[in-house]
Amino acid sequence: MASIPLDDTVSERTTWASSVRVWVASMRAWIFFFALVIGFEVWARMEYHTTFLLNPFNASSIAVFAVGPLLLALGQTFVVISGGIDLSVGFTMGFAAVVFSKILNATTGAVWDPLAFLLAAAVALLASAIPGLINGLLIAKLRIPPFIGTLGMYGVARGTAYLLAGGTTVPISNPLVSFIGNGSLFSVPITVLVTVVITGAMMFLLSQSRFGQHVYAIGGSRQASLRAGINVARNTVALYVLSALTAGIGGILYTARFTAGAAQAGEPLLLDSIAAVVIGGASLFGGSGTITGTVIGALIIAIIQYGLVFVNVEPFWQFVAVGIVIIISVLVDQTQKQLSGGRSDE
Amino acid sequence: MSEQPVLRVQSVSKRFGGVHALENVSLELNPGEVLALAGDNGAGKSTLIKIISGVHQPDEGQIFYDGAEVNFENPHKAREQGIETIYQDLALADNLDVGANVFLGREPLKRMFGLPVLDRKRMRNEAAEALRVLDIRINRFDLPLRSLSGGQRQAVAIGRAIHWKAKVLIMDEPTAALGVPEQRKVIALIKSLKQSGVGVIFISHNLVDIFAVSDRIVVLRRGQKVGETATQATNSDEIVRWMVGG
Amino acid sequence: MKSWHIKAGLFASLLSAFAGWSDYAYAAGKKYTIALIPGLTTDAFYITMHKGAQVAADALGVDLVFQGAPEFNPVQQVPVLNAIIGRKPDAILIAPTDKEQLVSPLKKAVDSGIPVITVDTFIGNGRYQTGTGEADFPLSYIASDNIQGGVIAAKALAKAIGEKGKVYVSNVKPNISTTDQREQGFKDEMKKYPNITVLETQFNDDDANKAAAQFQSVYARNPDLAGVFGANLFSATGAANGAKQANAQGKVKVVAFDAPQSIVSDIKAGNIDIAIAQHPAEIGFYGVVTAYAHLIGQSVPPLIGTGFTVIDKSNVDDPNVKRFIYSD
Ligand SMILES: Nc1ncnc2c1ncn2[C@@H]1O[C@H](COP(=O)(O)OP(=O)(O)OP(=O)(O)O)[C@@H](O)[C@H]1O
Ligand SMILES: [Mg+2]
Repeated sequence: MASIPLDDTVSERTTWASSVRVWVASMRAWIFFFALVIGFEVWARMEYHTTFLLNPFNASSIAVFAVGPLLLALGQTFVVISGGIDLSVGFTMGFAAVVFSKILNATTGAVWDPLAFLLAAAVALLASAIPGLINGLLIAKLRIPPFIGTLGMYGVARGTAYLLAGGTTVPISNPLVSFIGNGSLFSVPITVLVTVVITGAMMFLLSQSRFGQHVYAIGGSRQASLRAGINVARNTVALYVLSALTAGIGGILYTARFTAGAAQAGEPLLLDSIAAVVIGGASLFGGSGTITGTVIGALIIAIIQYGLVFVNVEPFWQFVAVGIVIIISVLVDQTQKQLSGGRSDE
Repeated sequence: MSEQPVLRVQSVSKRFGGVHALENVSLELNPGEVLALAGDNGAGKSTLIKIISGVHQPDEGQIFYDGAEVNFENPHKAREQGIETIYQDLALADNLDVGANVFLGREPLKRMFGLPVLDRKRMRNEAAEALRVLDIRINRFDLPLRSLSGGQRQAVAIGRAIHWKAKVLIMDEPTAALGVPEQRKVIALIKSLKQSGVGVIFISHNLVDIFAVSDRIVVLRRGQKVGETATQATNSDEIVRWMVGG
Repeated sequence: MKSWHIKAGLFASLLSAFAGWSDYAYAAGKKYTIALIPGLTTDAFYITMHKGAQVAADALGVDLVFQGAPEFNPVQQVPVLNAIIGRKPDAILIAPTDKEQLVSPLKKAVDSGIPVITVDTFIGNGRYQTGTGEADFPLSYIASDNIQGGVIAAKALAKAIGEKGKVYVSNVKPNISTTDQREQGFKDEMKKYPNITVLETQFNDDDANKAAAQFQSVYARNPDLAGVFGANLFSATGAANGAKQANAQGKVKVVAFDAPQSIVSDIKAGNIDIAIAQHPAEIGFYGVVTAYAHLIGQSVPPLIGTGFTVIDKSNVDDPNVKRFIYSD
């Protein structure tokens, strides 16, 4: 039988030059990252005759800074890849922070400190799963657009958190918890270690598990996923719960670090978390994105904000700089769409 | 080739509200046969194949598959038994590569450190094998599908059916969205499917395609079967007359 | 703005006459209703203000209505205000959430015969009953003198760092009247200390995480940093955590503005060295008293500045100080 030559059209699209362009587009986060670090290093050396990069204090400060936004961004990465968005994560984080503090205060003293911590953390995680579950059900079963559904949940989680907290921050006093929040192991802050472990788990889940593959498929084509027999509704619920859980972990670490739970703890982090996902290479149209990219995205935002203070630039430039990076990322995303697809997975 | 039909549709009717989408339609499909479904817009072609593939359930009538009566609650059930459908929009995830699409929803797992992980290598190799059987060449298996041509994407959809050992392959207007050269490739693909013993139901508005590839033609009009003939025994004029009635 | 004084004399006489006047009100068969609309309902500061107002209302035999929006924002506050106007209270006490956007909604209240007093925040430029401008119609503005608060913070910090070294202000964002004034008072006062350098202000968007990172960055470049003034709660707790993470706790002194419950444990743990507490209960109390004074025909001052209390480790358990911690 004659061979059917099907590769003639594609050959034109996969020329060497366009491969390079696709590669550059997919590597944009790394390129930004290195440009920033080198830029700040040169600036610090020229203006202030000091090092930026080689100062371990800076590295550890930036890592701690990135923990909160990154935790929100990890779950957000799954949501964005599936073609959704989760606007409620900030207040889910605050809600978890308040629940964690309340339970911790109720149990500290009554039981062994580590047990109090585990109890409070477990209850806080369960509590944070609730807004995620409701988000997922609204979006998967009632087919409410994610933007609207999670915006509603933003209000609900926020109100609930404020009500629980009674309009104030809830101080805690459990030495173990404040050690988790501010202590170090092998001179790495514990909050950073915890975040590294969770990031690793998320990376595995997204790139190696069937669930992760289905998240990409749903984002690529919901219709195709349905016809392929993927349980789209169940996966959608699961990924909003996942997003709420990483936010919940963020809330627990926040409380441990500032030894107080606050309803508004995560509010300012929402936009940073979405920005991290987008800068990290995910498309807001769904279907592409990686955990590695999101980590780089979160670090880029932290480095810009930290670095500009370090080189003593006027504060307003921080907002401008982060804004510019986001705009460039979205532009690259658009161009990339026209060129070809992004990476299919990790 | 055995003479027992792989699929038999017996007096099937389907209504949507007041609309009689199908009325008392029967047909048979033999292994290795290409059956063309022709008919004007709204004739009931899509409804008929959706009943076969489990999207809709018939109001009346029966479906026999491999000699036994079947009742598919959903498309997934039909696929499990070997009835694959390729929709006009292909139902592929454009952001995933060939392997991921061939295995979509049925990804193989392997163990790594005791954890179940996707077996990407197997997906890639078996997808390549399925396409090789069809004699299709795709030189990059790591690219997302959106960077492939329309004909290649059609090939992936067919390759998926082949890999999953479809006995019946249903194609709803597979050439409609393609340019002329790619239409030809799809026709060639259908021919090669036929050789491997798959029964194909093929919907098209394009009589040239129908005559190029089919063994038999069934014509629907307003939900009723108005004609059936061996392709060799007819010509376009007759088919058109059946389609428009007159 | 130098004319901020508690009109102590006036209030002393007013207080001494409470009993008689409330009898008068009852005698006239009239029980006044006063509405208090906070900036937001979920904040300990306003909750404490409500408590102070309730004390005055109980003493004067006034009905106090407390209604507000869950967020500090005019879009949510104005409907609440309109609903209150619809109920026709005898006076409205309000913490306006915007200097401009609340002007015409409040004008409506005055037009329908309800006198307005602003508490904590103001409309226009905060100067009322001057006969000039569009926003001088409220009777009185009762609040902490935030410039004075900044001055007090500066004095306390200067003392704590031995009147020398580098300091900076950790602030929310520009163009918030109260935090701007705190920063201004702080910087003006610090000019009196030749050995103290005030570095660039860092704005954190009310994000403790960002305030912490900013502290660490400033500290990385200025290892001789001596103190920080956190102009609101998250600015202060954020900077304090930055100091903790940098092992600079105690070495770099942290002054916090505002004193919610959590400040007590922060002071005890040494995270925060000094807190400047406003007196929201006092604001609420004088708000009701001022409205009442007006309703029974007395003239009232257009501006009343309430006090501050400086809290540190040495006095945090003193009951006289403890009562200025905002409670929920
Ligand atoms: N889900 C449905 N609900 C209601 N009516 C339907 C539904 N699906 C099909 N119909 C109606 O049934 C009739 C047959 O439609 P069908 O899609 O099977 O036609 P077709 O032959 O595939 O036409 P075309 O060539 O345009 O694709 C039409 O009148 C159509 O409007
Ligand atoms: Mg059709």
